[in-house]
Amino acid sequence: MHYKFGEPAGRYIGPGGNYHVYSSTISDVPPEGFEELPVHKMAPGEFNFQYGPSTGGLVESAGLQFITPGEMINSVQVDPTYKTRKLKMKGLDIERAILTVERINGFHASSNTIAFILAVEEALGMEPDEEVQKARILQLELERIRSNFEVLKRMGEPAGFGVPVNQIGFLRERVSRIISKAAGHRFFFGVNSPGSALISNSGLNEKLSEIRKEFDRIFSGLLQSKIFLNRLQNSCITKGKFLTGPAARAAGLRYDAREDSDSLPYDETPFVPVVHEDGDIFSRMIVRGEEIFNSFDIISSLGTVRETPGIKVEKGTGEGSARVESPQGDIFYYVKVNNGTLEDVWYVTPGTLNVRAFMESMKGNLFPDFHFNWESFGIWISELGVEIQ
Amino acid sequence: MSNFWFGEGLRKGRKTERFPHAPPEEPPLWPSVLEGSTDTFCPTDAIKDGKWDSGKCISCRLCMPEFRPTGKQDTFLIKKTEPALKKSFYLYKLDTGACGACNIELGTIFDPQYDANRLNIFITSSPRHADAIVVMGIQTEGMKEALKNAYEAMPEPKLIISLGTCAISGGILGDSPMSRDEYHIEIAGCPPSPYTILEAIAKARGE
Repeated sequence: MHYKFGEPAGRYIGPGGNYHVYSSTISDVPPEGFEELPVHKMAPGEFNFQYGPSTGGLVESAGLQFITPGEMINSVQVDPTYKTRKLKMKGLDIERAILTVERINGFHASSNTIAFILAVEEALGMEPDEEVQKARILQLELERIRSNFEVLKRMGEPAGFGVPVNQIGFLRERVSRIISKAAGHRFFFGVNSPGSALISNSGLNEKLSEIRKEFDRIFSGLLQSKIFLNRLQNSCITKGKFLTGPAARAAGLRYDAREDSDSLPYDETPFVPVVHEDGDIFSRMIVRGEEIFNSFDIISSLGTVRETPGIKVEKGTGEGSARVESPQGDIFYYVKVNNGTLEDVWYVTPGTLNVRAFMESMKGNLFPDFHFNWESFGIWISELGVEIQ
Repeated sequence: MSNFWFGEGLRKGRKTERFPHAPPEEPPLWPSVLEGSTDTFCPTDAIKDGKWDSGKCISCRLCMPEFRPTGKQDTFLIKKTEPALKKSFYLYKLDTGACGACNIELGTIFDPQYDANRLNIFITSSPRHADAIVVMGIQTEGMKEALKNAYEAMPEPKLIISLGTCAISGGILGDSPMSRDEYHIEIAGCPPSPYTILEAIAKARGE
């Protein structure tokens, strides 16, 4: 297996199963300083209130417990367990397990499924061919564009910024339709299997270049909208080392699985990590926006991508792991396959580090900052609230 | 800058499609109505005795080529309507254990291509202001009470809408939060497309 069990080595990716995953190793040792966040003790004059699990301001069910003297948030605890799903995966064959993995986080289904399948391929000693790997990069970058559009749209909503919100929503739906045409399903369900990817990029680049042009104009407009930007700048700053994905890159950390994981051949594309320094909501927004342009560049560099039909997978035995960059950050899968059946499987979701960073960054800010900040991390509770059985 | 956004709003023109008063412009193949008659393997038993049950289908494509997608988007079932809600229909969404895809597609019906607001369909943040509850996802322990409380808090007349295969039948992941008999409207799909959701919700008012 490419990832070895041993001492911590490299940057911290997150907890998963009974382990802690680093960029080079899997260890049972947590990183120094990663102990539980200190619990806030109520001071005189403070009160707490529960937000969620079901309310209009949240796309998914989650419970948030705020402690405040009235305006400033002194503490927030996120409870992602309300909708914990117990998903049966151990003992399943690979084909059946993929159906579950796709639905761990439907909006980021390709990130989850591709990481899982890459781990399975390693376990079975399969060498994925170049065409299939290109098709996987295509999916991941389409998913990133759509997901970043969604984050930018939701960041505009609490500001009541109707025109850009609707225009970005329009572009996001156009990307969903492009995905539907290219892959048959708007969320990449039923597209991936070991050694295969049912997606082509025929006619896709012209449509994407129109979207790029439109987005360029909207994004430039957003960067000129001072009242909106003032809302985001210097708010909810996080610069800790336990960060992942766009939140890390917005805090000056060049963390990106497209650069430091060799699961996919991103070195053959014009991928460039987008890094900003300030660690505030604005930096997270600008990283998302600029990454959309880089994703367009990556997709247009892929050349022709053809559907690669399913192949017969031999029943094998082995261990495998893989890490890819989802729109939220690193996703890591570990699998142990025994005669074609999943004996063990666990994963690391970027949501764990993002929720922790969100809670830290909220302290000392105001409740009106909450929605901007929550959306800027792009957290998906569905990925956090899973018990694999 | 206010002039810029005002100008941008005008420059783009009307983007909303005529659906549901005209056919869908770009319907997806998966999910859509499946056609076929031969028995074949289905991991959720959506195909039995050569018949297809949209409420169990997860669009996995494992039934191909015996069953094929038609692109038809009417994968919904309306058992009860409320014509009193024609002029103002407020939905309260409740995620009992969804993967996120249904959540996104429900939100999409308010994007410019679909613009559900023009059909007097809105989202409310409180069940006390809701005319219908939209249940998404499988049953999870932690959300049982929230579902019960939200349902009880809604004023009459009220509709219960199941959105997606997980909510209708549990799909591939678990059990549904309510029995199929309890839903007034079933919107099938994994996840249902925005076309399906929009048409079903519009028709829930007897249109």
